[in-house]
Amino acid sequence: MDEYFIKDLMVPISEYATVPVGATLFEAYLALEKAQEKYDHDKYRHRAILVLDKNNRVIGKVGQLDVLRALEPKNENFKMFEDISKYEFSSQFILSLREQYLMQDEPLSNICKKGAQIKVEDLMRAPTEGEYVEENTTLNTAIHQLVRGSHMALLVTRNNEIVGILRLADVFAAIFHTMKKCEIDNQ
Amino acid sequence: MNALEKLFIRIVQRVNINLRELEFDAKPYVWDLIPKNQMTKFYAFYGISPDHPLNLQFKHSGLAGSYFLGQCRVSNSLLYKCDVRGDELKKKGDRFQFKNFNIPISKDEEIVIEDSAFVKTLIHNFSHDPETLEKFFIKDTISTHYANIHGSPSDGCFLGPFSTVDLTTMRDCIIGTFSYVQAGEISHLNIEPGTVWVRSPGAFNFLYRYPIEKLKDYIYFKAGIKPQGILMDFVENRKEDFQRVFDVVNIEPSFDVPATASLDRYAVVRPSTRIGENVLVSQRAYIENSYLGKGANAQENCYIINSRLAGNNVNAHGAKIIEADVGENVFVGFNSFLHGQPENRLSIGKESIIMPHTIIDIAEPLAIPAGHIVWGLVTNQDDLEAHSISIAELSKIKTRFTKGNMFFEGSGENFVSAFQDRIHHILEANGAYFNSHDNSGQGHAQKNQNMSFNTIQPYPRGEYEGLFPTIMIQP
Repeated sequence: MDEYFIKDLMVPISEYATVPVGATLFEAYLALEKAQEKYDHDKYRHRAILVLDKNNRVIGKVGQLDVLRALEPKNENFKMFEDISKYEFSSQFILSLREQYLMQDEPLSNICKKGAQIKVEDLMRAPTEGEYVEENTTLNTAIHQLVRGSHMALLVTRNNEIVGILRLADVFAAIFHTMKKCEIDNQ
Repeated sequence: MNALEKLFIRIVQRVNINLRELEFDAKPYVWDLIPKNQMTKFYAFYGISPDHPLNLQFKHSGLAGSYFLGQCRVSNSLLYKCDVRGDELKKKGDRFQFKNFNIPISKDEEIVIEDSAFVKTLIHNFSHDPETLEKFFIKDTISTHYANIHGSPSDGCFLGPFSTVDLTTMRDCIIGTFSYVQAGEISHLNIEPGTVWVRSPGAFNFLYRYPIEKLKDYIYFKAGIKPQGILMDFVENRKEDFQRVFDVVNIEPSFDVPATASLDRYAVVRPSTRIGENVLVSQRAYIENSYLGKGANAQENCYIINSRLAGNNVNAHGAKIIEADVGENVFVGFNSFLHGQPENRLSIGKESIIMPHTIIDIAEPLAIPAGHIVWGLVTNQDDLEAHSISIAELSKIKTRFTKGNMFFEGSGENFVSAFQDRIHHILEANGAYFNSHDNSGQGHAQKNQNMSFNTIQPYPRGEYEGLFPTIMIQP
């Protein structure tokens, strides 16, 4: 793996989907689509959008699960599930309750309206300490961070500025590329 | 600032440190709840009898109006009108069964209260925690009006008014107003007001949540105010009756008490009350114009008014029964409020179970059929149907069951048998099955008859005003 460097594997932030704080969920999706169009079609697709403050600093990340979570019905029943989860009921029990109540509500109803109403800052997650990695850090360390934090990507920094995204999919591809190469060399 | 205030500040700080993760500040809730100027006004007292162990130790504590029995150590704590009953503790040589462990008890169990403050709280039963069987500890804990800490070791907790923690070890938890928790072991939980949670890991899990706006009519508590609502008004309106029994040195009952029954001299009994054989009426119980049939009991803070109890009735700590006819073997759980009217009485069929913290408040006659289990808030027939199930039906549940705000998972049969076993055990411990012919089945109703009471007093003035001197009371 020594031949790989984080800066070689990362997606430069200029090629990544970003939106300013205050953008709607729909605007975030358009940004993702636009970034993908510009991006090399042979590579893995982007799956997240970065949210920037007015100084263009990354303050949050919106992933696919965040979007789906935001589109789920948020009625009184939803709050009730959140509340009773802590009372040690089994996950099957909570799931059966959810299914029972979801049948009374269409999860994707008003999707157009929701897309225009939901602001990215309402569903983004602020990066945690373990989601940053310096561009000169070894790839082994980056892999450890990805595994330990179950992250889909890390934010790559240079002098405390975010310069790119190291995606799990790209690291995974690099590892298998190395394995494949070893196999060929051994034959 | 005197020693008592310094002590209170330190207790609050200890609780806040334990509850910092839940971002809870106990001070605005409790600072005015313990009337510091009243801590000199009331004596503390303790019971002695040939049938109870005696080992009481008090150090650097305020104990105003509080009652002690059995084995108990209190240090650096403030207790205001509390009951600490150490008469069901384990004894050296007993064995405790926990799952597959049969654990020997190496020394007599003690209730050990440290760095805590309680208002009108009941502490009773024994530690069910297999990790601490000889020490029923309560530390860094604050509890408020009419809370019950029942067989529940506690470390770093706050209990709201009329809350109950039953047979559960709790660490760093907030127990909301009028919540009941029986869950084995809990930590770092904020239990919302009006939660009734009964869980036996691997067997069953019952949860009911009160509609909070409706609960507020009955009991409401927030920072900066005293607890308010129908429940508080109900007990406050009868406070003066208790004042009389506490002020008089010798008090005799105004009716014949059977030789096998026990009527505590610190209970209020008003005409025209009759009690049957093997009845237990505990201190701070209130009985008015009622009949308690053979083997019935009225535990601490129970109120039974204009009611008839057929016999072998368990009325757990804080249960209130007004204008009701209650069948045999009915269980009424902790802090329940069963409120009929003279023209609209409540009747409860035999062998029914009224879950802890149930409110039945009716303006029309209501009959609960025999063999039913009832929970939550019931104000009419429709509510009853939405908040009850027959015990036979519940016993058939094998996986899960929901009804309104009630959620149940597990074995209904196990749930029912757990309750029925416990009811039987309570009746047994209270002496309901006592047989005077062969003297078998003695319990509290018989053992409490030979009880005398001594009083102890705090410093009336000075640096330690309101605190009691260090006292050790042993045989």
